[in-house]
Amino acid sequence: MKIVLVLLALVAAAMADHHCGTLAGLKVKSEWGRAYGSGHDREAFAQAIWRATFAQAPESRDLFKRVHGEDTSHPEFIAHAERVLGGLDIAINTLDQPETLKEELDHLQHQHEGRKIPDNYFDAFKTSILHVVAAKLGRCWDREAWDHCIEHIEKGIQGH
Amino acid sequence: MLRQLLVIVGLAVCCLASDEHCCSEEDHRIVQHQWDVLWRDTESSKIKIGFGRLLLTKLAKEIPEVADLFKRVDIEHPEGPKFAAHSLRILNALDMTINLLDDPPALAAALDHLAHQHEVREGVKKAHFKKFGEILAGGLPRVLDDYDALAWKSCLKGILTKIASKLNA
Repeated sequence: MKIVLVLLALVAAAMADHHCGTLAGLKVKSEWGRAYGSGHDREAFAQAIWRATFAQAPESRDLFKRVHGEDTSHPEFIAHAERVLGGLDIAINTLDQPETLKEELDHLQHQHEGRKIPDNYFDAFKTSILHVVAAKLGRCWDREAWDHCIEHIEKGIQGH
Repeated sequence: MLRQLLVIVGLAVCCLASDEHCCSEEDHRIVQHQWDVLWRDTESSKIKIGFGRLLLTKLAKEIPEVADLFKRVDIEHPEGPKFAAHSLRILNALDMTINLLDDPPALAAALDHLAHQHEVREGVKKAHFKKFGEILAGGLPRVLDDYDALAWKSCLKGILTKIASKLNA
C-alpha cells in the first residue's frame, strides 16, 4: 500500500511540470494561434486583456499616459495594445526556438527597463491573459501550461 | 476639345482629392483575406522568419548601404537568432498594420509610432522604403496563390509612405 502511494506521488510529481517545457510550449503556441485571431477580433482581444489588467491594478494606468491609458478605446491605446500583443506573439511563437526567443526577450527587456514597472503589474497582466484566453477558447486550453510559459516570457522581459 | 479638357481636369481633381479610392474598404478586405492564408498553420514563426529574412537580405543586396543599417541586428549572419528575431518584428509590424486596415484612426496611430521608430535610425531613407515596397510586391504573389495586385499595391503604398513620412531623405 505504501509503495502504491509512493508511486502515485512520483507519477503526480512527474506530471506537474513546473516550468515551460517543450510540450507546454507547443500547447501554448497552438492555443495562442486560436485565441489571437485577426482584424476586429484581435483588437477586442487586446483591449479585453488591458481592461482586465487595469481592473486588477488601477494605478498601473499611470504608466500609459503617453498612449492614452485613461481610455482603452482611444486609437492611440488600441495601437499600443496591438503592439504589445505583437511582441507577445513573437515570444510565444518562438518558445520552441530558445536562441531566437532570447533575442526577442532581450529586445523587450531593453524597451521596458527604466520604466519602473513593479512585479505585481506583470502578475496582473499574466492573470488577464489567462482569463481572456480562457474566455476565448472555452474548454480547450491548459491553464498550467499558460501560467508557466507566460511567466517564463515575463521573467525574460523583467530581467530577473 | 474643351469637353475633353474638362474630362481630364475632372479626372485629375477626382483622383487627387479622393484618397478613399486608394485602399478602399473592399481593397483592404481583399488584402486582409489574402494575407490570412499565410497563417493557417501553427508554424507562423518559421514563415515570418523565412519571408522577412528574404525581403531584408534582398533589400540589402539591391541597396548595399542598407546592410550597415542592420548591423545592430547582425545581418552578417542572416540565419542567426538576432536577425531571426528582427525579421519577426518587421513581419509582425506589417501584420499589425494589415490587421488594422479597417480601423483607420488606430492604424494612423500605429503607423505614426513606426514612423518615429524609423526616424531615429540615422541613414534610413525614403528610397529604401520604395525599394522595399517593390520587393514585397514581387515576393507576395510568390507565396500567395490568390493575390490581387491592385488592392495590395494601393494598401501597401499607404502603409509604407506613412512609415517613411518622418524621414528627411
